Amino acid sequence: MEKRESMWDAYLRKGMSRRSFIKGCVALTSLMGLSTDMVSKVVEAAETKPLPVVVWIHGHECTGCDESFIRSAAPLASDVVLNSIALEYDHLLSAACGEPFEAHLDQTIEKYKGQYILAVEGAVSTKDNGIYCMSGGHTFTHLLQKAAANSMAIIAYGTCAASGGIQAAAPNPTGSAGISHFVGGKPVVNVPGCPPIPEVMTGVVMHLALFGTLPPLDSQGRPKQFFGNRLHDTCYRRPFFDAGMFAENYDDAGAKAGWCLYKLGCRGPETYCSCGNLRWFQGMSYPVQSGAACIGCTNADFWDSGANLSERLAKYGPLGDVDKIGVALTAATAVGVAAHAAASVVQKKTSAKHEGEQVTKE
Amino acid sequence: MKHVVVDPVTRIEGHLRAEITVDEASGKVTDAISSGTAWRGLEIIMKDRDPRDAWAYIQRICGVCTTAHALASVRAVEDALGITVPKNANYIRNIMAATLTVQDHIVHFYHLHALDWVSPVDALAADPTATANLQNTVLGAYQLPMRGPVSVTEAYPKAFPEATPAYFAAIQAKVKAIVDSGQLGIFSAQWWDHPDYKLLPPEVHLVAVAHYLEMLDKHRELVTPHVIFGGKNPHPHYVVGGMPCSISMDDGNAPINTARLAIVDRAINLGRALVNEYYLPDLLAIGNIYVKAGRVDGGGMAKERVLSFGMYPMETFSGASNGDFFKNLLIRCNGVVEDFGKGMAAAKFHEFQAEDIQAPDTITEGVEHAWYEYPGMEGKDLHPWEGVTKDKFTGPKEGTGTEWKTLNESGKYSWLKTPKWKGKLCEVGPLAHYIIIYTKAQKGLLGDPTWAEKMMLDQIQAVSGVLGLAPEVWMPTMVGRTACRGLDCQLHAEINKFFFDKLVANIKTGDTKVANTEKWDPSSWPKEAKGVGFYEAPRGALSHWIQIKDTKTANYQCIVPTTWNACPRDDKAGHGAYEMAMMDTKVQVPDKPLEIAKVIRSFDPCMACATHMYNTKGERIKTVTTDPYAATRMED
Repeated sequence: MEKRESMWDAYLRKGMSRRSFIKGCVALTSLMGLSTDMVSKVVEAAETKPLPVVVWIHGHECTGCDESFIRSAAPLASDVVLNSIALEYDHLLSAACGEPFEAHLDQTIEKYKGQYILAVEGAVSTKDNGIYCMSGGHTFTHLLQKAAANSMAIIAYGTCAASGGIQAAAPNPTGSAGISHFVGGKPVVNVPGCPPIPEVMTGVVMHLALFGTLPPLDSQGRPKQFFGNRLHDTCYRRPFFDAGMFAENYDDAGAKAGWCLYKLGCRGPETYCSCGNLRWFQGMSYPVQSGAACIGCTNADFWDSGANLSERLAKYGPLGDVDKIGVALTAATAVGVAAHAAASVVQKKTSAKHEGEQVTKE
Repeated sequence: MKHVVVDPVTRIEGHLRAEITVDEASGKVTDAISSGTAWRGLEIIMKDRDPRDAWAYIQRICGVCTTAHALASVRAVEDALGITVPKNANYIRNIMAATLTVQDHIVHFYHLHALDWVSPVDALAADPTATANLQNTVLGAYQLPMRGPVSVTEAYPKAFPEATPAYFAAIQAKVKAIVDSGQLGIFSAQWWDHPDYKLLPPEVHLVAVAHYLEMLDKHRELVTPHVIFGGKNPHPHYVVGGMPCSISMDDGNAPINTARLAIVDRAINLGRALVNEYYLPDLLAIGNIYVKAGRVDGGGMAKERVLSFGMYPMETFSGASNGDFFKNLLIRCNGVVEDFGKGMAAAKFHEFQAEDIQAPDTITEGVEHAWYEYPGMEGKDLHPWEGVTKDKFTGPKEGTGTEWKTLNESGKYSWLKTPKWKGKLCEVGPLAHYIIIYTKAQKGLLGDPTWAEKMMLDQIQAVSGVLGLAPEVWMPTMVGRTACRGLDCQLHAEINKFFFDKLVANIKTGDTKVANTEKWDPSSWPKEAKGVGFYEAPRGALSHWIQIKDTKTANYQCIVPTTWNACPRDDKAGHGAYEMAMMDTKVQVPDKPLEIAKVIRSFDPCMACATHMYNTKGERIKTVTTDPYAATRMED
């Protein structure tokens, strides 16, 4: 196979300085949430690793993940698509279509056997042999299995690819499911979200591009650096929860003052994501900051979580009945903290249980 | 005769297949098939859901025109329940809508459509100095001066095209490096040797490729109003009764305060700069060359029938079903124009009003050539509130159900239904808006135009001057469809600012209300209710239809712009807009049907939006779990 270009090669070819290369590496290091003592490793990786080939396929989806990906600010979309990866197949951006496009996919799979990254957006439709999702005259299942078999690693972008998503919501008319059991045991990085935050999506690609390995994953195959925190624990409105200060209705005095949205159905207490720390558009906002309760879109079954999205998590598990927090006004803070401490203990136990089941995928 | 299949059609949303039969000697397309090849069943999933949640589920129809379905959904639910949103919520929703249209049109032109017209390979032959000169010429010749009655909040436009030889040399070097590397990435495998690419000089290719790259990084900044008002993009949050983003100038933690509004204002200003300085000049430069080369084909249905539901409620309204929605529209394009292609004397306008919503025969959908059936009502077309449907996959003409060779044009061949207006098929989209407003004005049916309608007429006149052709000639064509989308973008950039000004003026009066929660509690709802929500999405006329029973969603249906345009044929009403456009387009090289892909993309296809199915009344729906081993395990 011909030699492929590393990120450093690309900088050399463009006549860019070593200084700007190092600056790029420092930016990447912080983007990936790594500490600054990792800069040298990032530099080493960027000097020697070839640009990874990415094949991006679409199943049952809405293209919101692709759209999110091209909204990335650091790295910028053009830098990712034209400089960090070789995006050889993608329904949204690729120039070609029809027969030559499908032939190019086959050539790419053959040429980069075992070396390309397969990005999957969308669910697999399994009912009736997969006839509800056809592309190029074949079922998506066929395409997924063909592309997965020869890939190095697979990224499941969005909740649809990770666990079925919206089309898998009850009664799941097309038998849609996440991709993990249709890829022949290949390692899968799950990047759930509806859609995921742009920089979370590009960050996973950058990690693979720079280090040549999958990022460290949690028990659900999600990169720990982006899914390690519960929204509730990183939310800027958390102090109001602890103090028992809640918006009771949309647009009431509490909502205007930016108090906790738990009673409006916020799924923050059960949702692991980067909305609280990275936020959207480089810290600009996230649903809670814009006054909207979190719907838990990184959770596997958030469309069928039992309660209506608009209704609060009724006496949600370990948190108990927060009305009692509000009623006992003087003791509100103390009770809130106590209830919360209890919740955190339960969460820890749950995650400890998951840790035991974790399969190392690196 | 040659049969050519294009599948997948890329640079669109979703899964689309086209098949054409073309006469190799003349290049004439004698038959064309447009097929939506995926179906997700979202409307079935809506059944029994809380109507207050509907916007979140149904917004996931599409992440490209994100926000469109959420807006149509909250309007449908509010129509059913008799909820009037506060003034601020109406303004904010209009800003959300205009923001979507501006960003979506720019991304469509540069990232989904441009590579049908321009080629990075041809850009390699350009001279950077000549390209810089060309950029200046284009800016001088093709800017359109139309503006709305809006405030000016920036000292000068903050985005201008680079016009230096060094800039174009750098872009060219990058393109050369990609081509030389042999790894063409997204530029792989296209028909770059197609004669269409030779219509433009190399310098035009280089300008357009440079702007393709620039817009890839800039478009994200256009949607920050969604991030401020809805928390994220794609898929911002809404709330039935208004918006979730409370306004307060007294609280540092409030979702909306002065600093947050300033972010919105800056994004709106950027949208105006990008469309005025980049999009329209590039579009008119390329379009002019095509028209001067005689390329005025690809019109199809636009010459026969176009439809719209009207745009932008200026102020709050009490519902659509009672007709109030149509009474204070900024752009009164609610209606149908027939026979525009036959000249203004022959063209006819039919207004779309409240009684058309209820009428059983005005808006309907048929399934003659779609993979569905109406048990017991074969051959009938059904009103969306009364829809009863079942999927019925019949496979292709040649091949098997899972390996298609050719589809069956005389039978069923698409997951799209066939929507109809009074039994006839229509084209929808920006071109429809412009045809309708122009026709109404010419026939004296417009009365005093609003500022936005006046701007549309001025835009049409200006473009007619550039192209040297009458509107009846250049508008219903492939170039006209793409050009009207650019004009629509400029218009929406002004509308965006117009409603921002209204929002600020209203907050200044002391009104900070964004949500009406009087009917939030389902116990305040009637036992049964039905409603409709209209919204002219970037791709055209969108309508959501909901029935609510016992506080649950009993039936939910969407008739989507791409369903109107990409639908399969009807034996009585004829071909849909995609099929007619393909049959009105000359193909130069049958093995490389670039013109077919180009004319389809001139509609900006959104297939995930288009494929859907009604809920079956009273029928038990099969349930499939997401358990990977359960593909064959169904619970009845």
